[in-house]
Amino acid sequence: MTSYLIRRLFQMIIVILVSAAASYALLNLAPGGPLTGLRQMQQNSRFRITEEDFARIRAYFELDLYLPVRFSRWLIGFPSGPVKIFGQELFANVPVGCYKEIQATFQDAKGNFSVRTIGCKEYVYLKDLEGRRVSKGVLRGDFGNSWRLNRDRPVVDLLVSRIPNTVKLMGISTLLALVIGLPLGVYSAVKQYSRFDYIFTSLAFMGSAMPTFFFGILSIMIFSIVPNRLGWFYLPAGSATAVRDYTIPLLGTVKAGSGLDQGLHLVLPVFVLTIVSIAGWSRFIRGSMLEVLRQDYVRTARAKGLVERVVIMKHALRNGLIPFVTIVVFTLPGLIGGAIITETIFSWPGMGRLYFLALGDSDYPTAMAILFLTAVLTVIATLLRDILYTIVDPRIRFS
Amino acid sequence: MATKAATVSSESMRTVKEETPFAIVMRRFRKHHLAMVSLGVMIFIFVISVFAQQIAPFEPDEVDVNARFVAPGTTVDGKLHLLGTDNIGRDYFSRLLYAGRISLTVAVLSVLVSELIGIIVGSIAGFYGGWIDSVLMRFVEFLLTIPSLPLLLIVSSMLIRNPDLIPIPDAVLNVLGKVMLLRPSDARQAVLIVIVLAGLGWLTAAQLMRGMILTLREQTFVEAARSLGASNARIIFVHMIPNALAPIIVDASLALAGYIVAEASLSFLGFGIQDPIPTWGNMLSATQTYMYDRPWLPLIPGLPIFLCSLAFNYIGDGLRDALDPRLKQ
Repeated sequence: MTSYLIRRLFQMIIVILVSAAASYALLNLAPGGPLTGLRQMQQNSRFRITEEDFARIRAYFELDLYLPVRFSRWLIGFPSGPVKIFGQELFANVPVGCYKEIQATFQDAKGNFSVRTIGCKEYVYLKDLEGRRVSKGVLRGDFGNSWRLNRDRPVVDLLVSRIPNTVKLMGISTLLALVIGLPLGVYSAVKQYSRFDYIFTSLAFMGSAMPTFFFGILSIMIFSIVPNRLGWFYLPAGSATAVRDYTIPLLGTVKAGSGLDQGLHLVLPVFVLTIVSIAGWSRFIRGSMLEVLRQDYVRTARAKGLVERVVIMKHALRNGLIPFVTIVVFTLPGLIGGAIITETIFSWPGMGRLYFLALGDSDYPTAMAILFLTAVLTVIATLLRDILYTIVDPRIRFS
Repeated sequence: MATKAATVSSESMRTVKEETPFAIVMRRFRKHHLAMVSLGVMIFIFVISVFAQQIAPFEPDEVDVNARFVAPGTTVDGKLHLLGTDNIGRDYFSRLLYAGRISLTVAVLSVLVSELIGIIVGSIAGFYGGWIDSVLMRFVEFLLTIPSLPLLLIVSSMLIRNPDLIPIPDAVLNVLGKVMLLRPSDARQAVLIVIVLAGLGWLTAAQLMRGMILTLREQTFVEAARSLGASNARIIFVHMIPNALAPIIVDASLALAGYIVAEASLSFLGFGIQDPIPTWGNMLSATQTYMYDRPWLPLIPGLPIFLCSLAFNYIGDGLRDALDPRLKQ
């Protein structure tokens, strides 16, 4: 067991590092980022951005450093100057980046122009990194500074302000989906081919085919816009709290930012997420329960004369839920990654929407932080699944 | 499986006319009423999309600034806007037709490409086994555990901003441009989305294929082929893959539903095919801000997305019942 865990831990670390490196490279391959538009401004005499200004801004975002160096500084905050061993400065003159690039315009066979970097005018050496601002590294909880969304403020601040919202949203809806979806799926399997089963499976089928964004917009219309127009009781949609007080029929005036206000804003996004999860999960549970109910040991239990309730609750359910463990455990990365689409539709200030905004705004440190957290949680979820499997199903051993 | 069933029925009931495997599948499929209805709906939508150019009364990017936000069924300058116009005065009905053509083409291409990759990777892993198998399948499992939407978003946002990153032959763009009624330069966007969707979508097909190959590998007809001196390639392509196709076909029709929703989700979030090229997803996202006053604008493109997704799910369900009755739950 211990050796298994240690081996798994090593694997986890490697997987996290590889996926972090891959996503870091992917994000940094893209053109754009904070320098978009600067080149054009450089050509426009009105702004007078000199080559030196451009290089300085580039260096401010660390874009002058080579990718592996940048990644290592992002991950562990190293190197931040020459390596010092016994007071001896080593590698001080090793180039780690290019401060000013030489660019040339090329024309291909079809006549398209493209600007490419062909060399380096001024290198950045390791000694130049001394005194430059550097993050403490992701491994010590420092995700660097945000580029756009929360300019020059730590990404961690952004995350801390968003995580509670997403955990609230995802936690409540996951719990509700479990409490409602599980019994529905089991009941539907036990009463196979009954009217309830037929209606319920059709509804679940439609629910899982329904695109989330369409469902979200529909529910905003049905529960918010239309009743609001008609002067009926309606649910507020959009953001997590209101900006100013508002009046809802039956409830009276709701104070902006009060508990009631927050609760009312939660209802619609939670509703959408819950319904979508119930649709998928209950179908899954129904399928695995049906498989178990068909097995011989269930027939044996019935033949022994056990009450049907005991057969189902004690014998069938335990085995029927084993595959479901996987699905439940993998909601864990969702707790941080959030529900991107639902949060976007309801302008819910959570992690999913933050990720969406960060990608759209080329705020790569923020996007990278969310990707990294998601990767970590995914790996933890995988381990958790394997451990849970051995607990619920003793036939499975660690290997 | 289907072949086996055919011989059994023809032996037991000699008086009955012999059925081809295809006829058996069709007979079983017809029993699934919802799947039949869905098939009808999908054929209808496909036919409309094929004749989009002939049916559409306007060009999809034809702007009439004097006729913005026209309500459905209004006639402007003697020409009927069946579903009204959008926020910059483009005929909504015409855009919907063209969008259908693009969205469906993207989904179908993604399915073809991803199933092909899945079949190849899955067969290689299943047939050769050993370290090839474990490397490939660990990789697949790893990718499957990563939440897919963040990954889709990051890859497609990279490709949209850097459309020349992946070289695409002009011939491909020209042909697909004709299919989707787009300029070749616009078709590039659609092809990039196909690459993104298929690039991350082949995983389940590979797992399915591997499982099928593993069971087929032990069958006597494969042994027979090998003893007759057939090469590995021949065994895989001629003997194994045709026998493993049933679950792949079912998977493909379900995946088609998934890709339609995925493409629409990407467009909806602004990381898919960009306006002015119409797709159902970006029509919906462009008009969702107007849902307070003109609720039909986001509802109209949302409906075909939902319909197609539902229809392909039912068709997949029906195909599963028809192709492999043992899988029926």
